[in-house]
Amino acid sequence: MWNLYLPIAGTSINIVLLFGLGGAVGFLSGLFGVGGGFLMTPLLLMVGIPSTVAAASDSNQIVAASTSGSYAHWRMGNVDFKMGFLLLIGGVIGGTFGVQIIKVLRAMGNADFVIKITYVLMLGIVGFYMFMESLQALRKKGVIEAKKVEAEPGRPSIYVRMIQALPWQMRFEKSGVTLSVLLPLILGVLVGILAAIMGVGGGFIMVPVMVYMLRMPMHVVVGTSLFQILFTCINVTVMQSVTNHNVDLVLAVILLVGSTLGAQIGAKISQRLHADQLKILLASIVLLVMVQILVSLILSPAHLLAYKGGH
Amino acid sequence: MRRSNNGLWWPGVTLFLALLLGPAGPAAAASPELRLSPNQVDIGTFFEGAAVKIEGTMPAGTTAVVEVVGSEATEHLLRKGRRGGLWMSVGEIQVHHAPSLYMLLSSAAKIPEFTGAATPWGFAALAKQVTFSGSLQPQEEDKFFQEFMGLKQGERLYRVMPDALHTSAPQKGQVAFQGMLPLPAKVPPGQYKVRLAVVGQGRMLAHQDAVLTVKMVGFPATLSNLARQQGLLYGLVAVLIAIITGFIMGFLFKGKTAH
Repeated sequence: MWNLYLPIAGTSINIVLLFGLGGAVGFLSGLFGVGGGFLMTPLLLMVGIPSTVAAASDSNQIVAASTSGSYAHWRMGNVDFKMGFLLLIGGVIGGTFGVQIIKVLRAMGNADFVIKITYVLMLGIVGFYMFMESLQALRKKGVIEAKKVEAEPGRPSIYVRMIQALPWQMRFEKSGVTLSVLLPLILGVLVGILAAIMGVGGGFIMVPVMVYMLRMPMHVVVGTSLFQILFTCINVTVMQSVTNHNVDLVLAVILLVGSTLGAQIGAKISQRLHADQLKILLASIVLLVMVQILVSLILSPAHLLAYKGGH
Repeated sequence: MRRSNNGLWWPGVTLFLALLLGPAGPAAAASPELRLSPNQVDIGTFFEGAAVKIEGTMPAGTTAVVEVVGSEATEHLLRKGRRGGLWMSVGEIQVHHAPSLYMLLSSAAKIPEFTGAATPWGFAALAKQVTFSGSLQPQEEDKFFQEFMGLKQGERLYRVMPDALHTSAPQKGQVAFQGMLPLPAKVPPGQYKVRLAVVGQGRMLAHQDAVLTVKMVGFPATLSNLARQQGLLYGLVAVLIAIITGFIMGFLFKGKTAH
């Protein structure tokens, strides 16, 4: 009863459970502007979906969630297309590099070590920094004061002086910042490399990069991040379908119906929350995932063998 | 004339009686019966595993062993180990000649074994059939065989089920048996060899074979074929469905969100 057979995953699963998973992750996606791959893939593995199918089908459902989210944010004027395209170009270049790095590491037998350590470090650094920064902002002079700090284009720090010295400065109207074209390209490449190594869309790294390194306002970050994730995941879905045949359309459709609904609810809730409250919530989730991965790395596994697949 | 007729009549009666009583004789008793119901399992949209009824007959005083074996394949697995105090994948192991499914049912509380010869069923027999290659030492093969069994048993694809075949009271020297073969939702489509072995006095007295077919049908079959044969089209359709759904949802919630 309520079970559906997934022809590519080769197993049967409860529809309500899948719909719930999609809804919960979509909610977070709409709330924070992350694709949710770093949450959904481990959840799908936990309910018995093979890892390769989980990762590939998840990217397909993110296409729907990010379409829905991007559309909502575009209507509200929250998508910086210029910045999004530059990050996307950088992300594609970085992703291609990252795939090659993984190939070399696999040949050397160190791939899994690097993937796991990168995962823990990135989640730990991003989560901890966001958490502390948001906590400080919230503790300051209340909501209005914190918003002012966030909206500031930059403080006269070494980092700001450095990025101002870069050539090809360009005005990004939507984000209200003037930056070198090189900066989003370089950061896009770096995020692309990390995302390819970790096998995720990179939204949870891209969001803090946009906030802290590109100094974009949080509401534009969410819309632009979703817009960029949309293209990344379209590419991944088509590539996975052609090369590995492991996109499960039935799985993806149930997840995406749940996630698109969840994304809309998430976007609605997010308007009631302040930027720092959003950041602290995302930071908490990122840190929780990091702790969960760390625990799985420390505790002895139930089996010393696992099926070969995606990560 | 009359005597002559009698001489023709008696051999005819003897032949008739022999045919009539024949099935209850010792030669027929050694020939067991095996039936599967259904003998084809369809994997459709709402498939969540299936139970196949196994029934048959065997001579009284013997034990029935039913072995269900899937096709052999090479499995690619990752072995876990510690690096810098952390558990992670440390190499790839290939497992050869492992059946896709292995189920063993018996009418006895303990799976019967041969005396003076190797028993051809059970995990001990599989251990002789399955071989390993990749990043493991020869002395580690036993350990990883046990790990492999644990992995498959966790998926309910490998099972040993003593006392799973229930027998009826003997009738004319024959015993009927029946049981259910539980196929998990993860059962791969394919043809499965089903063998009934009748065991007595520490050896196999007779056997009977059947074939169980597991087939993907309807919507899952169409989708699976499209994914494997038309990858690009399948990927584009998947993306298109996702984008349309995303837009529809966005449109339905139009004006209700203002992030």
